[in-house]
Amino acid sequence: MKGWVIGIDVGSLTTDAVIMDEDKRVLSFSIVDTGYNSTDAAREAMTVAAGRAGLELEDVSRLVATGYGRAAVPEANKRVTEIACHAAGAVYLFPDTEMVIDIGGQDSKVIKVGKDGRVQDFVMNDKCAAGTGRFLEVMSAKLKIPLDGMGDISISARGEAAISSVCTVFAESEVVSLVARNCPKEEIVKGIHRSVVNRVWAMTRQLRVSGGVTMTGGVAKNRGVVALMEERVGRRINVPDEPQIVGALGAALFALREK
Amino acid sequence: MHLDLETRTRKDYIREQKSLHGRKVMGVFPAQYPRELLLAMNILPVEIWDPPLRTREASAHLQSYICSVVSLGLELILQGKCSDLDAFLFPHTCDSIQNLASIVNDYLGIHKPCYFFYHPKAPYKRASRPYYISQLKELKSGLEKQFGELRETDLKRSVDRWEEIRKDISKCYLLRSEGRLNTSNRAFYSILRRVEYLHPDDFHPLLTNFLQSGRTETERQGHGVLLSGVLPNPPEVLDHLDAIGVRVVDDDLLSCSRRFLSGPVSNSDPYEAMAETYFSLPPCSTRGSAIEERLNHILKKIRSSRADGVIFLIVKFCEPEFFDVPILADSLKKEGIPVLVLENEINQALSGQIVTRIEAFAEMLG
Amino acid sequence: MSIAPEIRYRFMKDIGAPLVMGMAGLKGKRKAAIKRDVPLGPPLKCSKRLKEIMTRHYFLSRYAEGARPVAWVTSGAPVELLRAFDFYTVYPENHGALCGAQKLGPELCSIAEGHGYNQDLCSYARIDIGVCLSGKTPVGRLPRPDILFASNNICQTVMYWYRVLAHHWKIPLMVFDTPFNFVSLDRSAITYMVRQFEEMIPELERISGRKFSEKKFKEVLRLGKSSAMAWGEVLATMKTVPSPMTIFDAFVHLAPIVSLRGLPVTLEYYNVLLSELKDRVSKGIGAIVNERKRLMWDNIAIWYKIRDFSRLFAERGMNFVTATYTNAWAETISYMDERNPMESLAKAYSLVILNNNLDHRLKLMERLIKEYQVDGLVIHSARSCKPYSVGQYDLKRLLMERLAVPSVVIEADITDFRAYSEEQTTTRLEAFFENIEDGG
Repeated sequence: MKGWVIGIDVGSLTTDAVIMDEDKRVLSFSIVDTGYNSTDAAREAMTVAAGRAGLELEDVSRLVATGYGRAAVPEANKRVTEIACHAAGAVYLFPDTEMVIDIGGQDSKVIKVGKDGRVQDFVMNDKCAAGTGRFLEVMSAKLKIPLDGMGDISISARGEAAISSVCTVFAESEVVSLVARNCPKEEIVKGIHRSVVNRVWAMTRQLRVSGGVTMTGGVAKNRGVVALMEERVGRRINVPDEPQIVGALGAALFALREK
Repeated sequence: MHLDLETRTRKDYIREQKSLHGRKVMGVFPAQYPRELLLAMNILPVEIWDPPLRTREASAHLQSYICSVVSLGLELILQGKCSDLDAFLFPHTCDSIQNLASIVNDYLGIHKPCYFFYHPKAPYKRASRPYYISQLKELKSGLEKQFGELRETDLKRSVDRWEEIRKDISKCYLLRSEGRLNTSNRAFYSILRRVEYLHPDDFHPLLTNFLQSGRTETERQGHGVLLSGVLPNPPEVLDHLDAIGVRVVDDDLLSCSRRFLSGPVSNSDPYEAMAETYFSLPPCSTRGSAIEERLNHILKKIRSSRADGVIFLIVKFCEPEFFDVPILADSLKKEGIPVLVLENEINQALSGQIVTRIEAFAEMLG
Repeated sequence: MSIAPEIRYRFMKDIGAPLVMGMAGLKGKRKAAIKRDVPLGPPLKCSKRLKEIMTRHYFLSRYAEGARPVAWVTSGAPVELLRAFDFYTVYPENHGALCGAQKLGPELCSIAEGHGYNQDLCSYARIDIGVCLSGKTPVGRLPRPDILFASNNICQTVMYWYRVLAHHWKIPLMVFDTPFNFVSLDRSAITYMVRQFEEMIPELERISGRKFSEKKFKEVLRLGKSSAMAWGEVLATMKTVPSPMTIFDAFVHLAPIVSLRGLPVTLEYYNVLLSELKDRVSKGIGAIVNERKRLMWDNIAIWYKIRDFSRLFAERGMNFVTATYTNAWAETISYMDERNPMESLAKAYSLVILNNNLDHRLKLMERLIKEYQVDGLVIHSARSCKPYSVGQYDLKRLLMERLAVPSVVIEADITDFRAYSEEQTTTRLEAFFENIEDGG
């Protein structure tokens, strides 16, 4: 029996697994679509990750689940919220982290973290989709630009379209009329990014943190959003190579802690 | 499903009260009103806080930025579910309820008498108390025209009765804060909230029974939180706190402690006694109390109940509460007390997001 | 009060302010010369003078701190009482409108939101809290208040908002509690309000360090009443066809009666405005070139859209000739009576439109529709203002039933244009225009 552990993050869009050894080294990870069955998705993610690490699932000594579907992982030894996991994962990757910004598909959260990686306070967006990945998704569909291409497009923008509405439906109609007025696509995309950033920035203001900032979640891959956020918070932001798996990484750290 | 059952039983109860006891029934909107006065006139107040309905008709009358307490209250009237009520009473709680009262009275043409109750707003002055008493007397003479004369002796008895009930409610709160009441979060509020429609003859025995059967000497297990906001809804929040072993040890809820935990009454004149009750209620956003006062009240409660954190359960669009929250939350955090602010519709199912927030908050408590 | 601020204030009042006023007037002239909208009639000459007055008011407010007791006041509060103690008054609602018109709403609101103030709260309040927390304002600087003076005759919101200010500034909040007229104003409410005034006087003496002067108070009441009546006459000129002024002008010219009520300058100004309007009436000059339809506006202005709307409607030959909002300052303030000061003050302030039931509002609107020969109604459903907005859907229905007046509801906000959809509004307005043209 080796000291391998698994952290698994069952999110609304993807399910991610991270395998870690006793020395907190990441051996492998996987990202699969969650689909309609969270339990199946969790098993698939674990199997894929185990395969990549050359391990059998039976070799894993502890499993911690997080994410919206954390209750749907019957094998889990423990369940922890994604808030605690993103905090732990971010501090592991960037020890100077004092604030984590996680812009996810359904919601966004801003977390204030202590040096020990523990959550000190957090804010989440309200029900509305403004300031979340969902907002970007709706807009990417409207503009017929692939979601992962939006960041690069906006970087090339010279000007910026003003999108003032906070409501996704209103903003969508603003975008439609910008398109009708032949406003350059990249400027619209930049305006959309600005809208997300302003919304999330308002959340960060509530926690008033002066130290290091780390961005996690799928939207952290969007260079346009990150650049505007850096401009807004006035300092460089840490972005992990695989921002999506930070939750699962945190879960794995919890699994080690509990051993 | 259980919501359906709840309306049915409430409906049956109201009908029984009318047929068996010859009582009249008054639909009462939130929050503060002199229930003693109504009960003394053999009128049963049935409060309308969170009817188990979905908004259907009300959106033809109210904008989307009006809270669910007000829109569902109107929905109840519009769906014709108030046929058993003899009248409505609208206390002056906030702008939305104020205008709702006027929509119902002036615009809907529902042919049911509407009564109004204005209570003076803080900061109280010397003029506040005589005005409050004059309002009580005006309400009384208004009601007398529809419901017959009120005898002073009945009023006195009713005031004493409510005082006894309030004492027992206070006892429940005290025992709970000391960890000596063995009850779930859900059970506590489901008993307490029966006061919203049960007659004292039925409510008081229920409450005393709950008090006696729940007493325990074992220490509290797990973390304790103080609940603030408008009302303990959705009840699934209470269930979830029960499930993760977090106990609500005290509250600052408008529908609960802020209406019930007033000081002892010393005056023998019933109107003076009712005024004494009103002016000794805990600080409240809808009555104009200074934020500082409310903060100190909450801090005192946290100390006496050894709460580990505070959860604000705020109904979306509730202005009186949302203006107070930032300073309260900020000041509490400065005292090292973790705070969670949840914004919700009153009958909204518990979303995964709210569950996550509650659990992450519980993790923060240690 | 120490001497230095007093001297500085007097200097600024006599020398600095007139200079600034002159500059403000110049700016106005330059702008006016460059841009004139075709569908609009000649601009009001008075506008320059108005700009001077308001610029001076905000300019001087900076120097009032220390020289005079300073109060922040709600638009519906009985300011006459404060004037008797020589308070310098600042109106956060007027300041909010000014920020709104300069399209600064979202920026200032988001400062408050960053401190946890919910986005669904009144945007005047969010702007003001944002200003307090950051010190940012387009008028340079607002003076620190010594007291906050609020009345809930316009909404309960101001009490919640001013409680936040009281906590922020650590100063007393004085509330004038006006019982809502669910049915009608009764004796006990009048007694209650009069007693509140009586209790306020010694408190105001203590805070201002000045003795209450009944003589001055009566003078203020007289001035206030006369200015309100003059404002009423100003509005009444709009009964003429074509109307010499649009409601968009009135929204702007409303500022003195809101913020400088009870001061000589207000009465003086409205008399000048009135004579200009009367002159226009006699010459048949309309505010828009081709007035074909006359409209009524309900609720507070959409401050960031005034300019756009003014052109949009004028282009179609439609002129707004009355509004429940502008009318509010003419309707009841004229009840003030120096022979019975306290009681008349109580009536003047508790009988305002927003402290009255919706039946009263319906009748008032019916009266205005008839008196001003209104062909259509534009209803602004303002997220920020629940007492003004809740009930509008029924009002719309009832006015259609009773007077067959076509109307349209615009879902928007007074200053926060993040809650406004250009596309949705355009569609609604186009449909309204079709509707009103069909009606002949």
